[in-house]
Amino acid sequence: MRPQRLFLLLSLLFTVLLPFLPLVLWSISEKWFYPDLLPQAFGPRAWSYVFGTAGDQLVFGLYISFTLALVTTLVSLVLGIPAGRALGLYDFAGKKLISLLLILPIIVPPLSVAMGLHLWFIRLGLAETFIGVVLVHLIFCLPYTIFVLWGVFTDYNPEFEEQARSLGASPVRVLLQVTLPMILPGITVAALFSFLLSWSQYLSTLIIGGGKMLTLPILLFSLMDSGDRPVAAAVSLVFILPAMLALLASAHNLGRHGLQGVR
Amino acid sequence: MKNTCRFFTRYLFVLLTFLAFPAFCPAEVQTRVHSWEEAVKAARGQTVDWYMWGGSPAVNQYVNGYLATELKKEYGITLRQIPVKDIAEVVSKLVVEKQAGKDSDGSVDLMWINGENFRTCKQQELLYGPFADKLPNQHLVDWANPSVKNDFGTPVEGLESPWGSAQMVMIHDSARTLEPPRSIEALLAWIKTNPGRFTYPAPPDFTGSAFVRHIFYHAAGSVDTWQGEYSQATFTKAAEATYTILRDLKKSLWRQGETYPESPVRMNALFADGEIDFSFSYHQGEASRNILDGLFPTTVRTFVFDEGTIGNTHFVAIPYNAKDTAAAMVVANFLLSPAAQLHKASPQVWGDFPAIAAARLPSPWQENFATLPRGPATLDDAELQAHQLPEPPSKILVELEKGWIEHVLKNR
Repeated sequence: MRPQRLFLLLSLLFTVLLPFLPLVLWSISEKWFYPDLLPQAFGPRAWSYVFGTAGDQLVFGLYISFTLALVTTLVSLVLGIPAGRALGLYDFAGKKLISLLLILPIIVPPLSVAMGLHLWFIRLGLAETFIGVVLVHLIFCLPYTIFVLWGVFTDYNPEFEEQARSLGASPVRVLLQVTLPMILPGITVAALFSFLLSWSQYLSTLIIGGGKMLTLPILLFSLMDSGDRPVAAAVSLVFILPAMLALLASAHNLGRHGLQGVR
Repeated sequence: MKNTCRFFTRYLFVLLTFLAFPAFCPAEVQTRVHSWEEAVKAARGQTVDWYMWGGSPAVNQYVNGYLATELKKEYGITLRQIPVKDIAEVVSKLVVEKQAGKDSDGSVDLMWINGENFRTCKQQELLYGPFADKLPNQHLVDWANPSVKNDFGTPVEGLESPWGSAQMVMIHDSARTLEPPRSIEALLAWIKTNPGRFTYPAPPDFTGSAFVRHIFYHAAGSVDTWQGEYSQATFTKAAEATYTILRDLKKSLWRQGETYPESPVRMNALFADGEIDFSFSYHQGEASRNILDGLFPTTVRTFVFDEGTIGNTHFVAIPYNAKDTAAAMVVANFLLSPAAQLHKASPQVWGDFPAIAAARLPSPWQENFATLPRGPATLDDAELQAHQLPEPPSKILVELEKGWIEHVLKNR
């Protein structure tokens, strides 16, 4: 590796990882008073709380958060890819109106969206169910997914598909070997957005899930108030880790340029 | 074709009416309260979803550890804690459920509330009961105590069952401040001679608002006036005097009163970091607890004002649409048992004050409570009880919070 690249890598790692250092220090500190730069005493109190008392709640919260985020991401991709393609490739009447409607849930405060829906969700029997929470997460995730894919399809040239078809490829083969590889980086970004948005939903999960869906943010936010910095730091790290993993796992696809060399 | 069309329009209309106005056809549910024997029998195998403020690891540990284990062992009840940031979120959830006509099978079985939230619940008829008088351990509670009988001026009337009590104490570091000011008068003078070393959380924060009420009692020169009938003019005069005192104080506060900590937690952090010299807590054992957890230095101590500090009781209540009412009643009763109250009072566990009166206990238990180790910073029961003031009605509380924002924060 050339020295310039090494320097770049190190400075990137430094800026990304440095903000987490205080969290790690807080989570293993026992006593840490002003004006000392480092904790006066270290101890496992916060972590023993996280893995002991709160252990069951957190493991279950991790499971709920993960399945919610995964299902939300899948559904938003299934709905978002065709929508993004239609908006990106075709011009039709009412396109501006549709984009306004799509962006509306992001503009309107989430509290009023969730409160307004709560009443209807109770009547429809969707409140406090897994599906209900997925639906409410979709309201916030779907616009981002569609807008990302809209952008992807604006740069997309459908003539490649026609070419493949004229060379005898079946529609399924066109989808798998032409369309998907070309839009893969876009899909990765959209999926990541969707996953992280669902992962960090607090208010909508609380209102629609009503305590039945004890996701990590709900457990975390209730502890944030405590002023017990070590415990809050430990729980924060538990919260961040899966999101970091999702980011790292998708970094491989992000680095590739799906459309490079096409034009 | 025309007929089908008409059928569909009519169907759609009926559907819409149904969805929009289900409140037209609710069966008026008269909840019957279980007797104690029925409750114990029905409770076995039920799960109690207890919604509560989840901000304290010590409380969470007591609930998920001791209480959950004991309740499972003794009554076959599964206790499930649902930690929330603010119980008001749960109250508004119940309000919506009532609007939507969800009158049974609600997910909240028990909630930890008091004050304003209780008043809202009582006004909107969101509570099951009265059930408190059905609980055998209720005879251990001193219902003649004004802070038990009335929850911030709202009569309890058996709609909630006491769990613990709290009293405001001032916190100082004996290594930094040798002689703390022991009255409001002296404190105000101290703040003016030591500018920038005191602050309070901005109301409507609960603790900050309690501080304002102490100033209010000081400005009004009376506490008892507000427990009974009082005229609006008397209140306005006392409130104006309160705002005047606090406005004068502003320039001597931390950062000249340009900003306030948003919670007692932030104030504690400022105090621990040495930015200010006093903190205060609406929990007499919190300072000891924080020393134990390493959040405060070991030299921290607490004190009460000579004229007294405000105290109140916190309760548990059962929502009107709760699913497992029987088990919720059994839990509420177990919370009041001498064993559970003693365990809760231990500073190693939580250090919360008992809701039951020591004098009503059999003598071995009295002994246990008397010899309970207290943290280094906690005052003894006698000292606290001799300096206890009741909360004013929540109407005054709300008025003062609004007035503070209008006249002190915005400086009008």
